[in-house]
Amino acid sequence: MSATRSEIHTAVWILALLPALVAAAMLGRADLASPGAVLNFLGRLTGIGGLSLMLVAAVLSCRVPGFDKPFGGLTKLWRTHHRLAAAAFVLLLAHPLLLAFAAAEVRLDIAFDTLFPQWQRWALWLGWASLLLLMVFLAPSFKFFGEPHYQRWKHLHRLAAPAVILALAHSLYLARTLPWPLDAIIWLGLAALAVAAIGYRFVYGRTLGRRRYRVRQVSRPANNVVELSLTSDGKPLRYDAGQFVYLTPFDPTLQAGRGEEHPYTLSSAPGEPELRIAIKDLGDASRAIQHITPGSEVAVEGPYGAFFPTAEAAAPELWIAGGIGITPFLARARQLAHSGAAADAVLIFCVQDEARALFFDELQQLAEGNSGLRLHMHYFYQHGPLDLEFLHQACPDAAARTVYACGPEPLLNAVHHLARRVGIPHSRIVTEEFNLL
Amino acid sequence: MIPKLTFAAFVAFWSAILTLTTLWAVSPAVIADADVTQRAIPLAELEQHATLDDCWMAVEGNVYDLTDYVPQHPTPPAVLAPWCGREATEGMRTKGYGRDHSPGAWAMLDGYLIGSLE
Repeated sequence: MSATRSEIHTAVWILALLPALVAAAMLGRADLASPGAVLNFLGRLTGIGGLSLMLVAAVLSCRVPGFDKPFGGLTKLWRTHHRLAAAAFVLLLAHPLLLAFAAAEVRLDIAFDTLFPQWQRWALWLGWASLLLLMVFLAPSFKFFGEPHYQRWKHLHRLAAPAVILALAHSLYLARTLPWPLDAIIWLGLAALAVAAIGYRFVYGRTLGRRRYRVRQVSRPANNVVELSLTSDGKPLRYDAGQFVYLTPFDPTLQAGRGEEHPYTLSSAPGEPELRIAIKDLGDASRAIQHITPGSEVAVEGPYGAFFPTAEAAAPELWIAGGIGITPFLARARQLAHSGAAADAVLIFCVQDEARALFFDELQQLAEGNSGLRLHMHYFYQHGPLDLEFLHQACPDAAARTVYACGPEPLLNAVHHLARRVGIPHSRIVTEEFNLL
Repeated sequence: MIPKLTFAAFVAFWSAILTLTTLWAVSPAVIADADVTQRAIPLAELEQHATLDDCWMAVEGNVYDLTDYVPQHPTPPAVLAPWCGREATEGMRTKGYGRDHSPGAWAMLDGYLIGSLE
């Protein structure tokens, strides 16, 4: 499974780099005639590579439920999107500089003129406009100035669309490396894919792709956590345990986050008549939603993610949850209770103290009712950080298990560290980080 | 890792732009060699250099010996061949599809000047 996933990610990179590879194959004797000619060729190559990486990153930004599964879930798909964009950004920064350095071979003022041409050469200014837009909307993505504000980042990221369009116009006007009609086929083909992806995301995804639900009940497993129970008259959402959805509340009394979408893991078991979503107060919107009015409307888009394997195999598993990161495991344990399927899972639930042991009573009941599920509470105030000793006590055969971990970043780092020491290979550690999703 | 790498590239980009701009601003202006007396080349002489192995072109009144440059030109030499030995301003200004050569290309041309068209 993991080999197939990495093959799919590799295929995406190959597709993204294909135009640059084709262009590299066009290398002729004239391109090696002088240092300036070589720089000029590299300048064009970085432009081609940067644009195609950017277009493929745009294609991956679509959010088609199910499309993310072969990639290992939306978070993994997003990570490739993020890496493609980073590579594109670096290449596109190098692009004008290399062309200017190449022109410096003739004269310094020609190099300057390559960077800042007269207005008649407007196509070059389209390139500048695209690059400046890239800097503006990627600065928060790459955290140039600290952790970005989620909604502001989302709004700013929409500048990606004009940046891509300007870059395409720039390239189609100036391109001379790839022979006609190959260049038009490559650019228009990739652009069509990107338009389809963005069209899906912002048109279909915002209308027919969203399901209307009503908040039937709001329960409070802790003082800063709510679990919403949602009902719908429409077709029930089909999902797997551990998957997440984008939730948009429309409650007019909400102090923040009204009409904004945020990703939350489903805590209900697939097949339950209602959707349940546990939400911890972690930001403006999730704080406001603690006081959502029962009866108000919400929209649900999804499901996304591929946390647990879909096959109901009883492979031995080690679940490590931190705080609100219990939700996918809660969903899975509830699912096992519903289906009665065999399981072999050890759950280590890490929280600060007893007061923060979310869903403890229910988890205990679920574990008692299922001989294949064992629950071990890890209290930080009592046991300190999660360490090898605790792991050995709770799960002596950890090395033979696949690890599923969900929680804050320091805990996930600790899990990776411990798993390495126990001898669990990287391919048997499953995590889902909700970074700028 | 990615934030650090991209931020480093971002800073390096603006540093390079700033360096180039500063160098350009402080370097002496280029003065055209207007005083250099140019040899007057009759059209008949120009027309004798009409092959890729011996290629002269007249552009905007000046004559250039581009024989050494032909192998360096980005497009295949066959594209240049029809312009050898004749008035080639149109080729320079349009590249055959309505787009002017870059200022870099025009500046390069100066290096191959051999006279003015009579």
